[in-house]
Amino acid sequence: MKSFVIDIAKCNGCYNCQIACKEEHVGNDWTPYAKPQPDTGQFWMKMHEKVRGSVPKVKMSYVPAPCMHCSDARCIASCAPSAIYRRDDGLVVIDPVKCTGCMSCLDVCPYGSIYFNRDMNLAQKCTGCAHLLDRGWKEPRCADVCPTGAIRFGEEEELKSLIDGSDVLLPEEKARPLVHYRNLPKRFIAGSILDPKEDECLEDVRLTLTSVATPARAQITGADYCFRGDHGGQPKKGVTLVGATDAFGDFWFNQIDTAQYVLKIEKKGFVTRTIEAIDVGEKDVNLGDIDLQRAP
Amino acid sequence: MGNEKKAHVLEAAGKAPPVGSGDGETTTYKNIGFCGFAVGANASCVDVKNGRIVRVRPLHFDEKYKPEEMKPWKLEARGKTFEPTMKSLIPPFSLAYKKRAYSPNRIPYPLKRVDWDPSGERNTENRGKSKFVRISWDEAAQLVADELKRIQQKYGPTAVLVQGDGHGETMTIHGPHGCQTHLLDLMGGYTLQARNADSWEGWYWGAKHVWGQDPVGQGTQTNLWKDICENGDMLLFWGCDPETTPWGWSGQQASRLCYFWTEIGVKQVYVCPDLNYGAAVHADKWIPIRPNTDAAMQLAIAYTWITEGTYDKEYVETHTYGFEEFEKYVMGQEDAVPKTPKWAAEICGVPSRTIKALARQWAKKATSIAHGNGGGYIRSSYSHEPARLEVMLLGMQGLGKPGRNQLKMIEWGLFSLNSQIPGPRPEVIPAMTRSTYKGWQFTLPAQFIPKTLIHEAILNPPLTWWSTSLAGWPREDQFVQYKYPADGCSEIHMIWTDAPCLDTCWNNGNKVHQALRDPKVEFIVAQHPWMENECLFADIVLPTNTKFEQEDIGVDQFSGQFNTLLYEGQSIKPIGESKSCYEAVAEIAKKLGLYEKYTGNMNYEQLIHHGFDRSRCQKMLTYEQFREKGYFVVPTADNWEADPPGFINFYKDPESNPLDTPTGRLEFYSVGLHEHFWDDEERPCVPHFIPHGETHQESLLHERSKKYPFLLMSNHPRWRVHANHDDISWIREIPTCKIKGPDGYLYEPVWIHPSDASRLGIADGDIVKLMNERGAVMGGAYVTERIMPGVLYQDHGSRVDTIVPGQLDRGGANNMICPSKTTSKNCCGEVTNGFLVDIGKVDLDEMRRLYPEAFKKPYDPASGLVTRAWIKGGK
Repeated sequence: MKSFVIDIAKCNGCYNCQIACKEEHVGNDWTPYAKPQPDTGQFWMKMHEKVRGSVPKVKMSYVPAPCMHCSDARCIASCAPSAIYRRDDGLVVIDPVKCTGCMSCLDVCPYGSIYFNRDMNLAQKCTGCAHLLDRGWKEPRCADVCPTGAIRFGEEEELKSLIDGSDVLLPEEKARPLVHYRNLPKRFIAGSILDPKEDECLEDVRLTLTSVATPARAQITGADYCFRGDHGGQPKKGVTLVGATDAFGDFWFNQIDTAQYVLKIEKKGFVTRTIEAIDVGEKDVNLGDIDLQRAP
Repeated sequence: MGNEKKAHVLEAAGKAPPVGSGDGETTTYKNIGFCGFAVGANASCVDVKNGRIVRVRPLHFDEKYKPEEMKPWKLEARGKTFEPTMKSLIPPFSLAYKKRAYSPNRIPYPLKRVDWDPSGERNTENRGKSKFVRISWDEAAQLVADELKRIQQKYGPTAVLVQGDGHGETMTIHGPHGCQTHLLDLMGGYTLQARNADSWEGWYWGAKHVWGQDPVGQGTQTNLWKDICENGDMLLFWGCDPETTPWGWSGQQASRLCYFWTEIGVKQVYVCPDLNYGAAVHADKWIPIRPNTDAAMQLAIAYTWITEGTYDKEYVETHTYGFEEFEKYVMGQEDAVPKTPKWAAEICGVPSRTIKALARQWAKKATSIAHGNGGGYIRSSYSHEPARLEVMLLGMQGLGKPGRNQLKMIEWGLFSLNSQIPGPRPEVIPAMTRSTYKGWQFTLPAQFIPKTLIHEAILNPPLTWWSTSLAGWPREDQFVQYKYPADGCSEIHMIWTDAPCLDTCWNNGNKVHQALRDPKVEFIVAQHPWMENECLFADIVLPTNTKFEQEDIGVDQFSGQFNTLLYEGQSIKPIGESKSCYEAVAEIAKKLGLYEKYTGNMNYEQLIHHGFDRSRCQKMLTYEQFREKGYFVVPTADNWEADPPGFINFYKDPESNPLDTPTGRLEFYSVGLHEHFWDDEERPCVPHFIPHGETHQESLLHERSKKYPFLLMSNHPRWRVHANHDDISWIREIPTCKIKGPDGYLYEPVWIHPSDASRLGIADGDIVKLMNERGAVMGGAYVTERIMPGVLYQDHGSRVDTIVPGQLDRGGANNMICPSKTTSKNCCGEVTNGFLVDIGKVDLDEMRRLYPEAFKKPYDPASGLVTRAWIKGGK
């Protein structure tokens, strides 16, 4: 079985994968694998990007998402003319000759990976570059052009060590995708701690972060599913993380679950502070500059 | 030979079929880099079927060479290994480049401006406004030849200005920049537009007066990857975006390098007004700083070190000159203003405690500074000041000590110099610049004009200035005064350009347009593949083509994995009636009876062979082997590890390894400037923080900021190489590339912080305009936390789309409204970043009512402006 492993921690957001996909499929007819992709508006390999946090605690996350080539592909079941099929290597392909353009597959795909080509009356999507694999390529275009090795493609058993401990998008759909993700973006809490009297950044401040409740605000849904932040499942209560500030007084709790948190801030010679009800739901949280007063 | 050109489409050679070939596809190799000047990068494979490009893909080095032939290098540090991949790391521009070949923006055939009549009215005031008609190559070549002869006879050869520089596709035989100069050399010469040290202005005009370092003015790069891997604790990316500017020059090795440094724990701190694309994914810390206020923070860092005694006093004693004068200024003995962190914080927007923390970290940890051209200060007013200060700060912490150097993330091997390569050194740097390529114009003809002064030369002659301004010229040249017109030379009456983008890449495009409309300029001929920017100001436009359409030889010398030499077979036939730059000029040479002299009676095969014989690889394989394999991978040099890193020799023994400054030391007080410009308050002997002065008033500390309260940062574009690639539909639909207006037009994004946007009632996606006394440009609001409050950001290089000449541009080409004046009084570098603007919402309905014609122009949302809009009866 073929598999993709996409490591978000290595994705620099260059869009090579999205561009190469278009380069391969726009204006090139790979029937019986796929008819040409329209020039704009379709992204068989789609880069999702999100700006996270606020000045100056800002990061970006990029999540490239092809068709997930689900083992339990709803699109196959939904396709009345049986135009959608799974190959022996696991890749799910829409036969452009058999497709009648009924669009039922578009409705059932949980990932929005299927596009409709109005001019050709066709449902279209990522083929895993099956036309190239069948002529001897080792990997599809998106993986070949990835400069950092963030997109890996190969036999499932060869990639086993990378698949272990990985996540999938929308796990509750139980569609068993062939596309596995490592380091999918969760959430962060960040801030800076300072001594206002001395006008100094405070280093080695001890931070204790505890999750106390589920977040107040709703989870992100729809197209932003890549950034839902709860890829690991349900938010957990009572999880405690510890950290410390660096020389700039900065702290980051990265890749934390969505939850409501309490942060305890302690440093010898300073009055301990506690920040309650930090709601980490749909957004990452920059707590900004936090004053710590000298103990009397 | 032009017409007899044989299409050498390289058959898939070798025993095993190349990766990807099959199904009747043939493959050619091309470097698809965009430095130009025959200095290539981004080695790629171009697969072609039925005469059309199927795809561009990375070159897999090991397709035809074994690892032992290439000798892959290995950097081992802290238990981890960094090594090259077996494929080229090409950027999206190279991947999508076939879109440029097939762009609706291509010029299909030669064009003549409708109201330009060489024997009657020339209507120069209509340049950029009136349309064009189709003419034949024969007619076009004759018109150019006749005008050339007439103007040369009337005014002399120097009446012809050649604009033949600037970045773009890298070609050797066929590329722009060397063809018209080659012909004009045969006709008695020309006036050269002198190519500046663009995007490294500050290093050229400033840093050279501290550490010498000709020709570039930046630090010695030798083995700095190794040095940082082994010894570095912290890297300051100071106005440096390793995920943007390097793409067109070197591909994406810079990105891999940053990931590796993260892996081994080298802290990466970004100092820039914007969360640039490198900071977005690599930064351990982002310190937002207002554009071009870096000098204030640098001085406060020095203040912290001096007051806390944390700089290397012994090093300063033994390696530097004039520190006392600098110390006086820092401590406020000169101007009664101690340069404290609190003083700096007010100016630069970085909290004083952060400045102190940075200073202390820097003192404690082995710190190097990374640059990638561009950024917050190096292209701004008085950019020599922060550049000099940076070198001094490096000096105060022992420049050259392990882990303490200045690193470049781009142009690895600039000027074909080993000292410009920070990575493992190849056995040779393959080069075409001084053989088959003719466009290496870094020597002086009888008359030249700095690129930044072209509009002044046309509008307000005579002119004088200091230095040739040519990139790579020595420090001492900055003390030589030149003038225009030069003795015995003519004013300009004709322009021959193959780089028609001064307006969207250089200083004050609106003034450039004004100059190009001057009746004194009797004739303008442009040769270019695409109808854009200053092509619209030409009287004759010659359609040239892309490298896919030509047979050539090329090098990849910047990519940082392996250098390669490529036989670049012709991938596809020329599109429309296009010809290469070389062939276009050959048509004119024929009309002048100079064809044989121009070609030297050499065909392409001979020219390619000629280039190979001087490539520095000629002893490493035979020409036949080279042609058979199609590419050659230069092996890594044996014993590259032994090259002394950066300034280590100077650090260890400054007496035996002096710098090329007058004192041989790091000059905190510049002896050269003291001798020649002792009274220059804009570039004093000791560098200062100069917010504004006689030449520039682009600072929040100047009263102009009451009217124009935002500093606009304009860096090298993420989704273009300067003016290149603005018509690639697949790139234009990337969210940070363009913003779709309600009218369907794709506007150039203007980054604005949510706090500023909400105060001004601007929502994400709104159409806005940036304005100052020099005009206004439009854009689409990108409301984002990626820019600090009070600062706006817009990439430079967007295609000019004039609504009102001299006043309003729709394309977002903000160079139209950047300062006209140069770096400072005695320095003619460009100032294209960090200038004052105001921003306001645009009422598109109102605009459409006021300027119906401009808004009716044919436009393709996918690719933008189209050529047919400019051709009378064009379809």
